[in-house]
Amino acid sequence: MSDAAANPALAASTSRIAAALGALPHGMPQSPDGPVIEVELANLHAALRALREHAGFELCTFVTCIDHYPTTPRFALHHQLLSLAHNDRVRVRCVLPGESAPTCTDLWPGANYMERECFDMFGVRFEGHPDLRRLLMPDGYDHHPLRKEFPHQGIEPDRLYRQWDRARRASWAEESR
Amino acid sequence: MGSLKPVGPESNEAHGSGFLATRADFLINWGRKHSLWPMPLGLSCCGIELMGLLGPKFDLARFGAEAARFTPRQCDLLIVAGTLTWKMAQAARTIYDQMPDPKWVIAMGVCSSSGGMYDSYSVVQGIDSIMPVDLYVPGCPPRPDAVIDAVLKLQKKIEREAPLRRLVGTDSPADARAEAGTGKLVFQPNRGLPKGAADKHAHDPKSRLPFADPLPRKTGVKP
Ligand code: SF4
Repeated sequence: MSDAAANPALAASTSRIAAALGALPHGMPQSPDGPVIEVELANLHAALRALREHAGFELCTFVTCIDHYPTTPRFALHHQLLSLAHNDRVRVRCVLPGESAPTCTDLWPGANYMERECFDMFGVRFEGHPDLRRLLMPDGYDHHPLRKEFPHQGIEPDRLYRQWDRARRASWAEESR
Repeated sequence: MGSLKPVGPESNEAHGSGFLATRADFLINWGRKHSLWPMPLGLSCCGIELMGLLGPKFDLARFGAEAARFTPRQCDLLIVAGTLTWKMAQAARTIYDQMPDPKWVIAMGVCSSSGGMYDSYSVVQGIDSIMPVDLYVPGCPPRPDAVIDAVLKLQKKIEREAPLRRLVGTDSPADARAEAGTGKLVFQPNRGLPKGAADKHAHDPKSRLPFADPLPRKTGVKP
């Protein structure tokens, strides 16, 4: 989109990122909103580590996923990183062949909740996550609401109903004894 | 219904020594309805209005219901004020279960009455799908006056109950519960979905719900 003459800041951060990644295979598609990197799943963790350690991206501002149903592979994972020292951002995009990805909580502990939310909403399993539980939906819910096949009206957690029903019946039985 | 006026011969003696003849049901209901202890379950914006209701300006104490306690074990009136999400529904149900009988529930605001504007997967579409409700208060949020009206209506409702039948044990617990005004609770999970649609496990690709694409979408775009 913007060449080096039109946007020297973008050119500087692009070359810094390219230097940090070195020989790691990656793509750099054109994007209107800052540098974007595309990596394979096998190289994702190494790329994130290189960006943190050699390009100064000390903050992971979000981890999220996009569901490209009905194309396969359907999930694309996005990490948005921020460098306070250089005042720039980079987006790392990784198409998931399956439904699991490596965690980046060892690099940025703050990614913990974002990965939990991503698991909750899309069902992406983060391998090595210290505490991969649901964040927004109740435990025991069977579905992942932001997947495209999830019905608009929602699905009520009927397993919870059954649990409450059992508890209620037990307490009634106790009462009538 | 009954009255609390001294009855009997118009002698000052009977009056003066504190005798009173009335129906036990009436006496119990009279005590209950003027000493409701609310459990304020303020979940979102309606909770602010609930604070106004309990505060000095609207002053629920005028109706005997100012003793808000933050433990359900001391309360008999649950006021659900706000948007109940499924995550919070577990806690709300636990609070309801922990309240001692007799207990009453007021759904304050359209969110707790019907889900309101949140027609969404994360919001309980009416708290009556997880607990029995005695009174619904419409409004977004309802003014405190409307909730005071609900409390007055609840007092009328309590007047009609027959607690003595429960106390002397002529009723089964289920009858007693119906008598206590809370009624039976019928769970209706997933009533908007075709039968069995929610039984499949989401992680199994073969079991994905049939998906009707509402918008024409370009296929074959590489993500
Ligand atoms: S009914 Fe309106 S005011 Fe009350 S919780 Fe819902 S959105 Fe907020």
